[in-house]
Amino acid sequence: MLLSKTPVSLYVHWPYCTFLCKFCAFAKARVPKHGIDHDRITNALLRELQTTLTPHRRDKQLRSIYFGGGTPSLARPKDIARIIEQAHALVPLALDAEITLESNPTLAEVSKMREFRAAGINRCSIGVQTLDDATLASMGRLHRGIDGLAAVDRARDVFPGRVTFDMIFGFAGQTLQRWENELETALDHADRHISVYQLTVEPGTPLSRDHLLRRVVLPEDDVQTQMYERAVEICALHGFRHYEVSSYAADADAESKHNRGYWLGQQYLGVGPSAHSRFVDPANGQRVRSVRIPDTKRWLQSCESMGHGTASETSVGGLEAMQEAVVLGLRMAEGIEDRRFRDVSGGRSLDRFLCMDRVRQLAEQGYLTWSQGPDSACLAPTERGLQVVDSILVDIIPDHCKWE
Amino acid sequence: MYMRLRPLAATNLLFNSGAKSSSKQLFRGANSSRRLYVTRAPENNKRGEIDISSYPPERIRNFSIIAHIDHGKSTLADRLLEHTGVITKSGKNKQVLDKLKVERERGITVKAQSASMFYEHKGDQYLMNLIDTPGHVDFSYEVSRSLAACQGTILLVDAAQGIQAQTVANFYLAFGEGLEVIPMLNKVDLPTAEPERAAQQIESAFEIESDKILHISAKTGLGVDQVLPAVIEKTPPPLGSVDKPFKALLFDTWYDTYVGVVCLMAIKDGSIKRGDRIVSSHSGTKYEVAEVGIMHPEQTPTTLLQVGQVGYIVCNMKSIAEAHVGDTFYKDRHPVEPLPGFVPAKSMVFAGVFPIDAGEFDSLNESIQKLTLNDSSVSVHKETSAALGQGWRLGFLGTLHMDVFRQRLEEEYDANVLITSPTVPYQIKFTDGTIKFIQTPADFPDTHTLQDFVESTMEPYVSATILFPEKYLGCMLELCTTHRGEIHNHTYIDETRVMLKCELPMAEIVTDFYDKLKSKSQGFASFDYEESGYKTSDLVKMEVLLNGEAVDALAAVMHKSMVVTAGRDIAKRLKEVIRRQLFDIIIQTSANGKIVARETVKQLRKNVTAKCYGGDITRKMKLLNRQKEGKKRMKKIGKVELPQEAFLSIMTKSQS
Repeated sequence: MLLSKTPVSLYVHWPYCTFLCKFCAFAKARVPKHGIDHDRITNALLRELQTTLTPHRRDKQLRSIYFGGGTPSLARPKDIARIIEQAHALVPLALDAEITLESNPTLAEVSKMREFRAAGINRCSIGVQTLDDATLASMGRLHRGIDGLAAVDRARDVFPGRVTFDMIFGFAGQTLQRWENELETALDHADRHISVYQLTVEPGTPLSRDHLLRRVVLPEDDVQTQMYERAVEICALHGFRHYEVSSYAADADAESKHNRGYWLGQQYLGVGPSAHSRFVDPANGQRVRSVRIPDTKRWLQSCESMGHGTASETSVGGLEAMQEAVVLGLRMAEGIEDRRFRDVSGGRSLDRFLCMDRVRQLAEQGYLTWSQGPDSACLAPTERGLQVVDSILVDIIPDHCKWE
Repeated sequence: MYMRLRPLAATNLLFNSGAKSSSKQLFRGANSSRRLYVTRAPENNKRGEIDISSYPPERIRNFSIIAHIDHGKSTLADRLLEHTGVITKSGKNKQVLDKLKVERERGITVKAQSASMFYEHKGDQYLMNLIDTPGHVDFSYEVSRSLAACQGTILLVDAAQGIQAQTVANFYLAFGEGLEVIPMLNKVDLPTAEPERAAQQIESAFEIESDKILHISAKTGLGVDQVLPAVIEKTPPPLGSVDKPFKALLFDTWYDTYVGVVCLMAIKDGSIKRGDRIVSSHSGTKYEVAEVGIMHPEQTPTTLLQVGQVGYIVCNMKSIAEAHVGDTFYKDRHPVEPLPGFVPAKSMVFAGVFPIDAGEFDSLNESIQKLTLNDSSVSVHKETSAALGQGWRLGFLGTLHMDVFRQRLEEEYDANVLITSPTVPYQIKFTDGTIKFIQTPADFPDTHTLQDFVESTMEPYVSATILFPEKYLGCMLELCTTHRGEIHNHTYIDETRVMLKCELPMAEIVTDFYDKLKSKSQGFASFDYEESGYKTSDLVKMEVLLNGEAVDALAAVMHKSMVVTAGRDIAKRLKEVIRRQLFDIIIQTSANGKIVARETVKQLRKNVTAKCYGGDITRKMKLLNRQKEGKKRMKKIGKVELPQEAFLSIMTKSQS
């Protein structure tokens, strides 16, 4: 199968945090009282890495590594180096491999940046989130707005051209005007990439509880829509192209390779608590998705006794794979190319799969474009379409597949 | 002849244990403190049948109890049954005759239940037949037929609440049937009781002297021992002769899974026994009698039933639709003059019933069939709606009847249904003299037909009685006027209570008139009505359009004067429930081709998941699948997707 030869991405989940943000729905654990047992977590990650990458040793190449969390900038740089080295030893890194580390804007971690670079990290993503001190405090964060920007400046010194950071809009009490000001200020410090998210109330988070109990009142839907639209406009004015729902880049080179891997439906392997993987099993060619145990303690025990912390592994059917390809592909402005779709559809074309009546209607309404390029046909959302893409997906993705 | 579940009856018949179990109950009864009043039922023969031929008409009293909801009718019935040993006095007898869950919940009797008691009075044995009557106006025809089986009735009035609209309506029904009315005040031992005042109301409303009124408390048993003696003394024995040919009034029926239809009849002349062949005057159909007996309180077979008695007959009748309440039966080859007052059931309220999930059509079909087995007064027609798919148009006797039906569908059959807002049977009189009944808005003529071929449109009216404390007079008058009512008169039945009589269009009372009446009077007003014929009325069909396309299930026929208010209200409520879509949705209501209201649901501007977490797209896919499932339940009108809630909100909420 074609896909089995494509490059693979590696995700490493480092679970600990010194503080827990109210809106975060990722698997995380507060730093234990007696401190983090760095050796233990690193050894567990290395063992799981070994178990996971070994079957893929032959014809594969690592296109990217992403250290997410949790707060991976709390890790010791030498441990990060060991993980990168072992990954490379198992499946060789591509020459231009992107190796990203998520970092907190707190001073102690910023000061470790050069060491991380020496460990092999070549891209840095900083969790700035907002510049508003009151909002930061209310979300449980320990840094101030000014620290966030200082961290970005510092990171740019260490990783020139390869720094990104997150901004979130839609916090309680935020007005459109304040958001515009915040974003303008942030963009003055930006490197060549920025992510802009709407605050999402994820079930099970403290924010979700506060929201249900009406302890926090988030901006009205219409205001949030304006915030999104203004973000697109302001980023464009600063030379950042909106290439994915929440991602903006100065040029194509600056786009996140790792994330593009997800959106293009390429294979990725995840290690660490709660990490997800999606790959073609080299033993039988079967498409598989798997997830690791989310609880850090239990994941550690499992890695130590069995060599991995897999919670479940499920084979992915043809229909699901095709649905996913469209769902992910339409998150990007470039859309999904027919030839890429054929990789997961067994050679069947995208227009045979989709509800083309709806596609044509939506194209007439200016939400989609369906074009014949020189190499391949391509379905892409317009800027307006991207904004309502969830409604579009429900309309155009079929429940069943005509040829299955 | 509506709804009744009779699981016990079937068991009794199958195992022939009815007589045994009732004698066991009698035995327990005989040991109770009420022994004095209890008379052993006659012995049973080898077949388990008891012989009641020794009870001629002069030893029989057929009576009923008429009362407003909650005035204690069922409790009094329980006490009388305990008193005569028909049921044991266990303290568990809570409204034995109200068998349906909805009856006990709502404190109403949907279905009449009857019971026979044996009672000794001044040295003589009496067979006392308590004929229960449905307690609601929807069933007034059934009430009148049940009353036609009686010679006397207890008028039971709550001493604290005084007489209510239903008391008035039922009194006049009983009076119209020529029944002896025996007034009683119930709950006289309650601290809030005002027996003098209630007695004064009875005197002024019904011209009954207050010193003839019995004071009782059915709950505690106070004065209950005087009830049956009063009934015996005041109620005339049934007329008729055992020598005349058999003649019986069918006044109640129910369906039994094992034996088919069971008929309750009052024997007006002659006698009947197992093996006789009887004929329905209405249909001419012949039946062979398989079993006769009395309700004691379950079916208890007897050797025969004779003049003056009231009992059940099993006669191989297969379908409840063959049994018409009010029908007269006679013996084959001995025809008799039918009893007066027979009217076939007619539907006064119609509503569309649709499965919420189209996949449940077949199971719902089965449930409706089962329910109508026991309720032939529900008329059933298949109906197809572009918006709601396949369903039925059901006709009911009234809104309570409809509610009860819906509740039984939901509770007993676990059905998930959508019921369109009720409509009344309008009439269209064409210029060529023909008359058409409108059962559904789809039947209403279009604008051109209306102009060229219709002479007049008519709607059914009711004459209503409303009773309330005088301080609500203003708002009650206003309520009637805003519902297009014509006030006839209002009279004071005592110093503080007013009785208001008015004519109201039936369409005005089928939705939420009763709820408004209750809320505006803080629950103090009571209301009852009877049909009063058709009147010419300027009717129009209001349509609801979504982006120019009519939604058939939301169309309604109404008086011209209501169109603007109703149209605006519906458009506004639709706007609240229709979700934004990828285009503007224009909601319009129109009548006679003219738009009366317009609202816009602006197109959706943003719907996108901000982030797919760390490669976890399973969540996103689950969301997508949930949305797709939700979409399947949407009804599509052109391009517009309408959620179920849109229909529910229009159909269930009242106009504000």
